[in-house]
Amino acid sequence: MQMDSIADEALRYGKKFDDSEVYVVRTVSNTVYVESTKISNVETKTDSGLSFRMAKDHKLGKASVTLNGKSTVAGCVDMAERIASFSPSNSGFKGYVMPSRAKISTSGIWDKKVENITHEQMIEIVKSIADNVEKDVVLGGLLRVSTIEALVANSNGVHSEHSSTLVYGHFTSMARKEHPGEGQEAIHGTQLSIDTEEIGRSLSQRAVSAAKAKPFRGSRRLTMILPPGELGDMLMSSAGSALNGENVFYGRSLWQDKIGEKIASDSLSLTDDPTVEAPLASAFDDEGTPTEKRKLVEKGVLRSYIRDSFVGESTGNGMRRSSVDAQGLYERSISIKPINMVVTPGKMTRDQIVEQTDSGILIDKFAWPEADSLTGRFGLEVRCGHLIEKGKIVGTINNALMIGNMMDALSNIENIGNDQKIVGLTTIPTMSFSGMDLVGN
Amino acid sequence: MQDILLKALNRMESTGAQFCDAKAQTVRTMGVQSINGDIRQLLQRDTGGICLRAWIDGRWGYGTVTSFDESDISAAAEAAVRNARGSPKGRLRLEPDTIVKSMRPNVKIHPDDVDLEEKIKAVLDVDRAQEAEKVLNRVGSYAEEVKDNIIVNSVGSMIDWQEVRTRFGAMSIASEGPRLERYYDGPSGTAGYELVKDLDIERMGREVAEEAVRTLKAVRPPSGKLTVISDPMMSGLLAHEAMGHPSEADEVTKKRSFLTDCVGMKVGTDIVDMFDNGLAKGAYGSCPFDDEGTLASNTQIIKDGVYEGYMHSLETASELGSRPTGNGRAENFGKRVWVRMTNTYFGPGDRTVEDIIADTRYGILCDKMYNGMEDPVGGGFEAKCLRGHLIENGRITELLQSFTLTGRALEVLQTTDAVSKDVILDGGMCGKGIEDWVNVSSGGPYMRSRMIVGGGE
Repeated sequence: MQMDSIADEALRYGKKFDDSEVYVVRTVSNTVYVESTKISNVETKTDSGLSFRMAKDHKLGKASVTLNGKSTVAGCVDMAERIASFSPSNSGFKGYVMPSRAKISTSGIWDKKVENITHEQMIEIVKSIADNVEKDVVLGGLLRVSTIEALVANSNGVHSEHSSTLVYGHFTSMARKEHPGEGQEAIHGTQLSIDTEEIGRSLSQRAVSAAKAKPFRGSRRLTMILPPGELGDMLMSSAGSALNGENVFYGRSLWQDKIGEKIASDSLSLTDDPTVEAPLASAFDDEGTPTEKRKLVEKGVLRSYIRDSFVGESTGNGMRRSSVDAQGLYERSISIKPINMVVTPGKMTRDQIVEQTDSGILIDKFAWPEADSLTGRFGLEVRCGHLIEKGKIVGTINNALMIGNMMDALSNIENIGNDQKIVGLTTIPTMSFSGMDLVGN
Repeated sequence: MQDILLKALNRMESTGAQFCDAKAQTVRTMGVQSINGDIRQLLQRDTGGICLRAWIDGRWGYGTVTSFDESDISAAAEAAVRNARGSPKGRLRLEPDTIVKSMRPNVKIHPDDVDLEEKIKAVLDVDRAQEAEKVLNRVGSYAEEVKDNIIVNSVGSMIDWQEVRTRFGAMSIASEGPRLERYYDGPSGTAGYELVKDLDIERMGREVAEEAVRTLKAVRPPSGKLTVISDPMMSGLLAHEAMGHPSEADEVTKKRSFLTDCVGMKVGTDIVDMFDNGLAKGAYGSCPFDDEGTLASNTQIIKDGVYEGYMHSLETASELGSRPTGNGRAENFGKRVWVRMTNTYFGPGDRTVEDIIADTRYGILCDKMYNGMEDPVGGGFEAKCLRGHLIENGRITELLQSFTLTGRALEVLQTTDAVSKDVILDGGMCGKGIEDWVNVSSGGPYMRSRMIVGGGE
């Protein structure tokens, strides 16, 4: 059955409601796994499903089904209606989005190579990464490519179709040593343009670094340098959370009521840019609201939050999609996400930032780079970091905690690099932050 | 459905599979979440699909579809065999037991037998119970999952069973000036609606709100290597992250685990015991069979401080010459089977928590976990704690805001010198690395050890 027909059928059933919205999606994902430097598994997954939301007498219902022949469109609509019949009245419901023209055009979000890829070609890419990893380094991980075809339509007349490809890779590297440690590299994008030589080289270098790291002793206040791979989630869990309109709606944003106020160092400018190649880039969000390029923070001053239809005045940031996986999109609820949060780059290379640092640590790998989204606090295990004194790397450490508060860190930015990279929902360079604490044994 | 799955098995066998299995799964989930007295989420999901696996020369091939149509399943069977082909990995043979069994969940009140209205009322009741000065956000939540599984395989197993899981929770966010703090509580289990019926909802909501407000006065914890008394949740997090993940045998076969070749080695003091128990009654991670159709079991991982062994899937058991332990688990029909934990916990000791606190000169008592991260390769761990208490001269003196624990797993367990009597389990979700989430629980008693502590301002 065509997605158009499914959407039409759902909206036809939905005519008895005051408002209704249908999201239909079909995805195909191919994944190659590598373990101990050998190809271990190859997978093909096809997935299609439907999500239906409706409102009747200010009561809201929501249901989703996989389109597997057992579950029907009518069954999904009935399920949503049943949910609504038990739901208390919601006077705050603002209706689903109204039809609008696209405000931007996107490019580079569909790669024909992904659409037509064979398992043999995927295996070749992974083998090429393995070939570029040093002999005494063990490679693990996965490469996954997906096609996503989605349609959102509602009773207001919205009818928005979206097609994109998603390329995701996550690789780990381990040196064959007595105390190995682990390096990692991730790939996020829409295009199958992977620099296998550079990834292999980086994985080798990071595995060797992790293996030579020594436990850190004592404590020290210093500058923390985060390369893009470690900064992405730190920025999303702090600034991303504070910019999230739902957190503002419920009064729990750390940048509550601060539009027009200084919230970060002058050097920080953040833009949500859906016009360029990025995993979620699209002309419409997953509710059918047009997306646009938006200044979020300009020279340290807060300019805008991001919103979906629930909090109202949607900025086109109501998303189901993720930068990692295309499966089960119909199961996911709409949540507010930046489409592509870009940090305006600086002029320095990462090496120059290190040279400019009097006392610091260049983080190679945290256990998991994340700040507490409610408080901004973090206490992160350093799995591998390079200590810096007077602009030079003087040692490699692990078994320590990096502690601080990411919201404070954003007001203590020392330097911003020029090495921008797509990491999840962000496009970011290396950044350094002063006044952080490192604690060891 | 079994007939269609058996035809798919035949298709895989006739095209070269040395072993194969077919799983059909439907998952119905229902969730209610309130914020500040309004229903924010109320949804039902009905998903289902087929996973076909073919084993050829030491390699799995998967084919999954979200269609129960016979021709689509046949095509997926062909894809599974195609995906299993490639350069042979080895001659390893899988040796599953043949099981023919049908099982129903052991629940008192099946969630299907309870009106949605009653579930919504419970959520709004716990939301309302959190009303208090300084409480900015009151959250109530209820979730149920009913999972029906059918597995057939090429050694003649035919299994079908249903799993039912229920969660209920409250979370308060308190604010004072620019400061925000949270506290949460709530049960979860392989249980029906009795989990909610048996609760004192009013009391739970009120206490969560009170504790969130109290946390606004918490101070930054001391940092460095300190004496730490982990509460059952943090003990569970340590069991899970520090020793559980590296005891998953696929990490061992890949030589990614620091516990490779460690069976028989002394890894903790004599009072340290640890288990992964898929049979724990009512625990959130329990399941009668894993996703390969192996019966669940109770695996002792550490006994009297000595490392006993690993958790296994069919593949790792064959590779390491062991028996499968029922730990081959997948997030759902569309995801891959890995070796995964079920209910992982440290065993009980003979002390009381009051007694342990009383003989602690200076240290930290943990109060609820936040999240954690494993390090099977390096032997470290990261365990985040929601808040804690400072202990000075045997007495609790100050409330501490959130902090993180880290250290080397083996060094930490060598410092464990006190373990309390009661083991408590807490349900949650576990990812393998960065994806593939499965239902688990973890827990333990109160345990005193030395580790590195630090928390941001």
